Formats: sequence, C-alpha cells, structure tokens
Amino acid sequence: MNSLLEQFLSEARDFLQGIGEKLMQLESDPTSTPLMAELFRFVHTLKGNSGLFDFPEMTCVLHASEDLMDAVRNGRVNYSQTLADQLLEAMDFVGSLMDEIEITGKTGSNHFATSTELTKALRALLNAHNAVYVPVAIETYTEDGLAVKAISWSELPELDLPETVAMGLYRCSIDGETVFWLEYTPEPECFFKGEDPFFLARQIPDTAWRHVILNNTSSTLAEMDVFSSQLVFQLLTIAPAVELDDLFRYVPDQIHRVKIPALAFVKPNGRKDSQAIDDDFINNVLALLDKDEIETLIRTINTMLELSSPELWSSSVLRWALQLVDVEPENKSAQRTLLNTLRAQTPPDWSSSIMEMNEPRDMVTVMPSVSVNLSELSDTLLRDFNVVINTQREILSLGGTWSAGRLKSIAATLLGCYRAVQKLHEVESIESALQLALTKNSPEPLLDWLNNSSASTQELVFTAEEAPIIVSNLATQNEVKFGRRTEDAVITGAVAASKMLKVDQDKIDRLMNLIGEMVVAKNALPYLANRAETVFGVRDLAREIKAQYAVINRVAEEMQDTIMQVRMMPVSFIFQRFPRMVRDISRKLGKEVELVLEGEATEADKNIIEALSDPLIHIVRNSLDHGLEMPDVRLAVGKSVTGKLLIRASQESDRVLIEIIDDGKGIDPEIIKHKAYEKGLIDETTLERISDQDAVNLVFAAGFSTADVISDLSGRGVGMDVVRSAVEKVNGTVGIESEVGKGTRLYLSLPLSMAVTNVMIIQSNQQIFGVPMDIVVETVRVPHSHIQRIKQKQTTVLRGRIVPLLSLNDLLASNVEQLPNEDNEFATLILRVHGEHVGILVDEFRETVDIILKPMTGILGGLAGYSGAALLGDGSVLMVLNPRELI
Amino acid sequence: MAIEYKKSLAVFDDFVGVEDAEALLEWFQKNPKGKVNFTTCTHIHASNLQVLMAVKPPVVAWSKDEDLQLWLEPLLR
Repeated sequence: MNSLLEQFLSEARDFLQGIGEKLMQLESDPTSTPLMAELFRFVHTLKGNSGLFDFPEMTCVLHASEDLMDAVRNGRVNYSQTLADQLLEAMDFVGSLMDEIEITGKTGSNHFATSTELTKALRALLNAHNAVYVPVAIETYTEDGLAVKAISWSELPELDLPETVAMGLYRCSIDGETVFWLEYTPEPECFFKGEDPFFLARQIPDTAWRHVILNNTSSTLAEMDVFSSQLVFQLLTIAPAVELDDLFRYVPDQIHRVKIPALAFVKPNGRKDSQAIDDDFINNVLALLDKDEIETLIRTINTMLELSSPELWSSSVLRWALQLVDVEPENKSAQRTLLNTLRAQTPPDWSSSIMEMNEPRDMVTVMPSVSVNLSELSDTLLRDFNVVINTQREILSLGGTWSAGRLKSIAATLLGCYRAVQKLHEVESIESALQLALTKNSPEPLLDWLNNSSASTQELVFTAEEAPIIVSNLATQNEVKFGRRTEDAVITGAVAASKMLKVDQDKIDRLMNLIGEMVVAKNALPYLANRAETVFGVRDLAREIKAQYAVINRVAEEMQDTIMQVRMMPVSFIFQRFPRMVRDISRKLGKEVELVLEGEATEADKNIIEALSDPLIHIVRNSLDHGLEMPDVRLAVGKSVTGKLLIRASQESDRVLIEIIDDGKGIDPEIIKHKAYEKGLIDETTLERISDQDAVNLVFAAGFSTADVISDLSGRGVGMDVVRSAVEKVNGTVGIESEVGKGTRLYLSLPLSMAVTNVMIIQSNQQIFGVPMDIVVETVRVPHSHIQRIKQKQTTVLRGRIVPLLSLNDLLASNVEQLPNEDNEFATLILRVHGEHVGILVDEFRETVDIILKPMTGILGGLAGYSGAALLGDGSVLMVLNPRELI
Repeated sequence: MAIEYKKSLAVFDDFVGVEDAEALLEWFQKNPKGKVNFTTCTHIHASNLQVLMAVKPPVVAWSKDEDLQLWLEPLLR
C-alpha cells in the first residue's frame, strides 16, 4: 500500500468519525448552520480525497452524499431522521470499503450494487424534497455522460488537411465510419494534477490527423510558464464515440467532439490561377455529368489533369471530382457544386447539400432539460450562472487580438448558459451578436449584448455590492485552483498550520523501550561510582561519576516523562463512539436514552485506553439492554420517559476512574443470589448470609453469564467476568453498586500508565523479588510473639483486625524458614489482594524502584506467580511477583 | 535524466517527464541555437512539448517511435 493511500485511509476514518459526530449533534440541533457547513465540508473533502484513487463506488456514494448535504446546507432539503439514517448508512458503507482497502489494497467488484442503491436512495431524498434536481456545473462531474458543447462542423476552424488524408477520411466517412473532430483544451493547472495531456492525446486511437496549437501568451521565453498548459490538441479520428468518451472520462469538460460529415472533407486546395481552366471545359464536364456519361467524364477530367500543373487549385478540384464520381456516383448535386467552383475558384459551400442530406447537428449530449422558471431557480444555480456570465464579460473586456474561434467560444458559452436556464429566446440574439462580432472581428457586439441583456434580465443580476465579490473570488480561485486542499484548509482555519504529527505506534513503542533501557543503563552509574571508590580507591572519580549521574538522571527522567505524555490519549477516543452506539441500540430496542459524557479530556496511556474500549462497550450495551426500562415502564414507575446514561471519566491521583451510571431498574440481589445458587457458584450457607452488595458483585463471577441467565435476569451480567479480567489485565479494578428501582453505578479504576511500574524490592531466602507498590498497604515488623496460629494458619492482630500471615518461602515452595531480625521481628508486607488484607512474611525490605516491567514470554510465560521481570541498574534481573495469583 | 544536454544539442531519451521542462526552457534560453535529437525518445510530457513548440528548435533526428514523430514533425518542422 502506498503512503498516500495510507494517509487517505487514516484521514478518511477521522472524517467518517467527524461526520458521524456532526450528524449526532445535528439531531439535537437540526437548524444549526455552522454544524451543517462543517458536515458538508467533511463530506466534500472526503469525496475529493477519494477521487485521488480508483474507488468508483466510494466516490459515487460520497458524491451523492455531498450533493444531498449541499442541498441541506442551502436549505433546499430539510434535515430529517431518515436523512441522517441514510447518510449514516452511506458512511458505514464507505467505512466497510475502507476496511477492505486496508486489507486488500483495493475494493472488490461486488460493491457496485450496494453503491448504486445507496446513491439512488440519497438522490431520492434530494429529489423528494426538491422536484428540481439542478446539476451544479461547477466542481461536479456530469453523471450522465459528457457535456460537450454543441458545435456544428461548419463552425470548425479551417483544417489544413493534406489532400490524401482528406480523401482517405472522405472515403471512410462514406463507407460508414464516423469521423470525429476532437479539440482537447487541457486546463492550465492540469500539470499540477499529474496529468499529461499530450500522453492522453496520443492514446486516441485511429487518429488520421493531429495538430497542437500553442496559445503562448508570453512574448519571450523567459516569461513562459512551463507549468501552465497553453496547449490545444486538435485531432481527426475515426475511433468510436464510446472509446473517446471513456478515454476522456476524467476531463469531459475539456474536450469538444464534433461529428464531421463526409462532404466537409471535400475541400480543394492549391495555387489559384484564373487562366487555368476555361468555361468551355466546365460547361463540357457539367453537360457530361447531366447526361450521365460517367466514363467520358472521367476521361475528360483525366486529360485535363495531365495537361495542368498538379499544384493548381483547379487540379485539386478535378481530383476531388474524380473521387466523388467514384465514391458517390449518385450524388450528382455534390459533383455539380464541386465542378461549379472551377468558375469562381471559391471553395465549395457544402452547407446546403449537407442540410439537404438531413444530417443533424451532432450534439453529443443534450443537457438535462430543466423546466423551471428563473424565479424558481436555486440560489446556487443563479450564482453559478452569474459567475459564468461575469467571466465572459471579463474575457470580452480583455484586449489583444480577437480570433474568430475566441469569439465563437464565448458565444457558445453564453448559449449554453441561457439554454440551461431555459432562456431560449435569447439564443437568436446571441447568434446575431456573434455574427456581427465576427464581421467586425471585435468583441464589442457581444459585450454590448451582454450588458443590455443583463439589464433586461434583472432577476439574474446580483445587487451591485455582491457582484464584485464574486468576481474577485473568481480571480483568486483561478490562481490557487490546483491547491484545493489548501483552499479547504483556509476555509476552516482549523487545519491551518497543523502541529499534529501522526506517528506509527511501533515507533513510539521502540522509543519507549530505548528510553527504558537508557533508564536502566543510567542506574548502573551509582554502582560504578561505588566500585571506583571501594575497589579502586579513587574517591574523586567516584564523586565526578555521581555528579554526571545526577545530570543524566534528570534528563532521563524528563525523557521518560515526555514519552509517557506522547503515549497519553484522551478517553474521548473511546467515548466518541458511544453516541452512535447508544443511538443505534436504543433505536433498535425502542428505548429513549439520553447519553451524557463527562470528562472526555481525561488522559491515560494508549494501551490502557485501548484495553478499556471493549469492556466499556460491553457495559454500555448491558446498561441499555438490561438496565434502562422501556418508556412506558418508566412512565408507570414515575420516572421520566427518557432514560439517562452517564459515562464519566475522571482522574484520581495516578488512576483513571470511569463510571457508567444509569437510572434504570437496578440489579435485584435476590435474583442474583438465587441464580448463583442454581449455577452452583455459592452454597446454601452463603446464600443465607451473603450481603446484598456481595450478591450484586456476583455478576463478576466467572460462569455467571450464560444464556438462560440473560434472558430472565433483570439486571446485567452478560460477560461481566470478561469485563473484569480485561480490566485486571491492565492492573485495573472494577466494581458495581446498584439500588433496585433507582439505577446502577459501575466503576472502573485504571492506572494512568503501565509503562513504568513502581515496585518494592524485598529479600527472601537470599534472593530479591519485586512486589508492585500499588497493592502494598504497609510494611510492618511483627514480633514473633504476636503471631498466633489458628489451626494451621499463622495470623496476627494488626490495628484491631485479624490479618492472615503467609510466608513467602512457603508460597514459592522453598522449604526454608523466614529469617527474623535481631529483635526477633518478622518483616511483613501487608498487601491488599481481592479486597482483603494479607500479610506476607519476608526476610528483609529493600528500596522501592521504578522499573519497566517486561512480561515473561515462552516457557516462563506460564508462571502465573510472576507478573514479569525487569533489569536492575547493576544488570541483575528482578523477578516481580504477582501476589494475586500467588496467594 | 531523460534529457542529456551536450554543447548545443539536447538529446531526448526514453520518457521525458514534467520535471525536465523547466531545465529545458532554461537551456534554450542559454543556447538559443540549441538543437534537439529525439532518436531514442518515446514520449515527452506536454510541458516539454509546449517549450519545444515555443522555441521550434532545429531537429537533428526524429524519434524512432513513429507515432511520436507523426505528432512532432508538423509542429517543429
């Protein structure tokens, strides 16, 4: 996958997310214009970006969505739930396409049907609200083929065709081939879009004649702008129209394609000499033609050709006459017209004969006819119309030499505009103005016409203040058209000068690992200083090493801090998907739910956030499904119809607390108790004695969540053990509080970061171990006399509580007694495990250190008693215990 | 480099892309009498084409690619 595509995918996901969010927000505030504009911009940019790649299905759906949003933005279509649903569905489709692209690098061909369906549905919404579907000319491609300006062959510039080529084309034409005149004018910025017009032009098959015109506006080479296309390609080709349209499908607006009638090629050329042919000869051949004596006619002409110089214009006429007689023997009128030109030596005028032959003008595409009055036209169209007209006016006011083609093209543009708005009565006046302009060879008549007609069509003209703005807009647009993305950025101002950097997580992880090693390596310095002093006896060196260590230590800590911050992510990353989820589920369940999100800016390590995502979704789904009641039930118990679901994140010292609170029916401990008893999770005595809170906590018990429980359980309980294990995996805890009829509060507490673990080093049986500080409650020294034995278990009373005591050596199955200190006291770690205090007897306490805990892999990975290992400053390995498993 | 510049001759080779256009124009400004050789050229980007059309330099040899020659010959002759 190339990097451009990768970037597109990552950006597109952001956009999809944004679109979803905006739609949600619109739901509560359907009239907000800024929201609407933002939404449109998202869809618009996404569509534009998708156009860079060959994903037609995606672009198609996005294009339809964009049109719809544009209509909504301009108030032509009202925002509605169905509209939001449709748009969301379209975005889901785009999302699924993106998933596929991410995996396979392309989209499958099987999406075509879905895409068409979605597009149709979107278009239907657009049309249902607005009977007039106005194709906006600017910036949209025409769906229904090529909008080629209609030019008749007679308006074409003089073709300087060699006679042999012309004869060949004429024959082809008579033989049934269609000869097209193709003029391709690439837009000036096309080079910036990676286009090579010359290459495209060369791809045109069956080209009989080709020419390139350079519209060089600069007089010297130094002024020439090589990166702005000034070329016009002209060709004659007998390739089928479909093939041409396909070839130019990306630039349909840049080509003119005109079908050329056969006779148009019959154009004698050569040196004119009035003495060359006398009238007798002409009369003779015409008589022969009338008498249908073809053989004599051919012989006569051939004789004449032998006598006269081949470069003469008349010779050319005669050669053409032979061709006509040969190819179209029945077309006497054409032959006569041709031969008659010998008298005046003027080119044959075929227009009448071609009209006679009933060859219609070749209008490749008829613009979709829009039957509306101007007053009904949308503002957009009106604006576009005026922009085009104003541009024409500007062009006309430009100086310079005026070629016929330039005038004609302006007239054609005007004609197109007026036809599009159904002002057909203007067509004639434009044409007459054009004729006048052509004869005068000046733009004045057209300009006059424009000024007069604008005055007469008041409704099309903007007020005086608005018009200049449009013109200036146009001017700036022309300059920066190739920088569309920049343009978008300027519009919003939000993306401008982005300071964000997207980095692959692998790189961050690697950096973090390196910093971790740096921290460990740095810890070796104090040992070195110690050795310098004790082993080598150089005290000064030891002091210097220590000073250096202080500096390195400071930098390393700062580095560690910074990398932690880099890895921090706001919880909004997972919160942002809830509005959509809650909306969808509640809609499906027929419940009304108001979702409140709080503390979205709270940050935690990326791994924590990611580990949190699945459990949270699970919990929210449970809340919606089992917690909140149906609207009628809520009404019956005197609650508001709309249920409330609050998801709140907050930071408590070095932990993140996430609460999911609903005001549903709560969890009935009685039902839980009995279900647990039925499942064999608790025995009869527990059933009798268990407190309500403990009963509620049973939902976290493994095996509690089975299908039959869910179906008739009034609370939650679906896969809560999964939630708990997922949370515990990242050193988090989960708890639940519930009150029947009032609601349920579920809370997750998670460490902010799990990259650095603070452990306490203890010594036992001449080995050192680490114990995570977060479960150490306190360290005490318990005198031997205070240890009592209850059955086989050692216990002691600490601050009025009985604390069971376990020896670490026993837990690790090394058959050695713990060593007391000189006062016969045992070093005891009081740990909090599963909500209870437990004392662990060890030999000695050591310091606490920050370490980077590496989980053990391979065979060692199966040792549940250890949560991992870490390197210490002196290079030794510290095994970190996992007391939860150990005890 | 798809264009090799010799003393007063620009030799076009294979595919000459858009990035060569500016250098080509500068070369022609420095060597107004520069000539071109298309022998081994198969395609030139439109940007180069317009430079060549503006300069109309003498062509020492046409391209072996017949189609390219068909295009270029009427334009540069």
